[in-house]
Amino acid sequence: MSRPSMPPYGSARRGEGASDGCDTVRPNKEFMIPSPPGPTCWSGSVTIAGVCQTEQGDLSGRSPAHVWWEVVAGACADAGLTLQDIDGVVGEGPPGVGLRGHMPGAGIAEQLGRPLRFHASSEAGAARTLAGVSLAAHALTSGLADAVVIATVAAGQGGGYGSADREAAVAHMAKLSGPYEYVLGTTRVSDYAIYATRHMHRYGTTAEQLAEIAVTQRYAATLHPLSVNGRKGPITVDDVLASPLIADPLHRLDCCLVNQGAGAIVLTRTSDVLPSAGHRPVVLCGYGEGHSHIDPNAVEDMTTSPAAKLAAESAFQKAGVTRSEVDVAGISDHFTIGVILGLEDAGFCRPGEGGSFVQNGGTGLQGHLPTNTSGGHLSFSHAGMCAIFTAIEVVEQLRGEAGARQVPKADLGFVTGVGGAQQACAAAVLAGI
Amino acid sequence: MYEGFLPEDLPEWQMPFWESLRRHEVRVQRCLRCGAYRYHPKEICHRCQAPDTEWSVITGRGQVYTYSVIRRPPTPAYQAHVPYVIAHVTMEEGFRMIGTLRDIEPPEVCIGLPVQIAYDDVTPEWTLPAFVPAPRHDSR
Repeated sequence: MSRPSMPPYGSARRGEGASDGCDTVRPNKEFMIPSPPGPTCWSGSVTIAGVCQTEQGDLSGRSPAHVWWEVVAGACADAGLTLQDIDGVVGEGPPGVGLRGHMPGAGIAEQLGRPLRFHASSEAGAARTLAGVSLAAHALTSGLADAVVIATVAAGQGGGYGSADREAAVAHMAKLSGPYEYVLGTTRVSDYAIYATRHMHRYGTTAEQLAEIAVTQRYAATLHPLSVNGRKGPITVDDVLASPLIADPLHRLDCCLVNQGAGAIVLTRTSDVLPSAGHRPVVLCGYGEGHSHIDPNAVEDMTTSPAAKLAAESAFQKAGVTRSEVDVAGISDHFTIGVILGLEDAGFCRPGEGGSFVQNGGTGLQGHLPTNTSGGHLSFSHAGMCAIFTAIEVVEQLRGEAGARQVPKADLGFVTGVGGAQQACAAAVLAGI
Repeated sequence: MYEGFLPEDLPEWQMPFWESLRRHEVRVQRCLRCGAYRYHPKEICHRCQAPDTEWSVITGRGQVYTYSVIRRPPTPAYQAHVPYVIAHVTMEEGFRMIGTLRDIEPPEVCIGLPVQIAYDDVTPEWTLPAFVPAPRHDSR
């Protein structure tokens, strides 16, 4: 199979692109997706056997390590296992474990009182908890481990964007960009707002369409007992538009939460799933990643994410399913514009059509593609390495355990996690069997 | 005393860009093999992967590609400046770079606006890149 090579970024020759400041550096050059290899050997052979999440919101009075162990034990119990069954961990352990941030696996093993057989980490920003699913799948199918846990926690007084101090969290997030950006006073909100401005300019996407995403997801959150914003009740498009502009064109209600919380998942081989756990098994049938840039100006077209396109294309090819077969989705939603970009980049609608898709109710609980049915990062939780919460909701939907927000027919799900400002993306196709 | 963010942990080899700003010119890495501009600075060329570069003076002229008006700043140090505009500008040389956009009211900013480089001397050591609307006779 011949693979088209990826064009380099920002490679316009001198003089090109300056003729029309209204368009991209090379406006007619589509980003080309290299053909991924064929189906992976672990298609369907790995199951997300256990999930657990705390009530999301304020855990500032709790020990982060205690919450980590609590939510991990909860995910084990959900799978019909105990902590003593865990022999692999992906990602960071309880905060402070290991030696100055190194060797978390050894530190976790010490607290378990026995050695672990496997530890690995992804470094794909907040997407790492979804990217970890792939690492776990490799370990399980190769026999390096039998039960692998992935968890995240934001609790206690904390630091960084898990901090209990909101001002400190906002300042920390502003400096998640590089020094060429943050010295100018950019923020995490403006890092996404520049995509929204460009998308609106190119496709006519409106502030009302962005607001519709916040409204749809807030309603879903009112049906989730653990959500942060659900208890505040539903909102309207007018509420979103009347909320203060944070970084034009994004209003406060276009932005994700900044909150604490914890979540964990446990993965096993599908052949090892315990019927006693009592859940419909949710298997991993496709997975892909994309890692594209650090400098936002390295992306030629800021109405799309090369990383997300690549991740979704890989995941769907490996799963051998089409977009139209997907019943429920979790699309990374740090900001409302992220959902539009995510839907388009994953191929659920054509470029530029994300706005009308959401405005026509496409992502609602009764819509064509129910999306972020927990409320997502906008209204459910944006805690720690938050992609795990997007995944947990899709698992609960595919199990048929989503309660009042259950989607009627939920057999096939799609999940994305985005790291940074569209810089990295992980995507997974999950199926209830 | 300036309380905004200053660049941290910049490797020494990236300093010619910042030193050029301090002299009120802009020098951007340019690949000696293929001629591609490298902004941000990179150890190897993103187009041909060659290492060798020169620091090339650019015209400083371009057009707004996208922007945002920041109303909720990252820290209190920026509060006195809100609302301020962050612009990503397609430079005449074909690459895009970021700067604040000043000397214009936020509602007047639009994609395609012709701009030229300006310099914010925030401390004796550091000058940050900014843009201002290009003089009318200079716009195309």
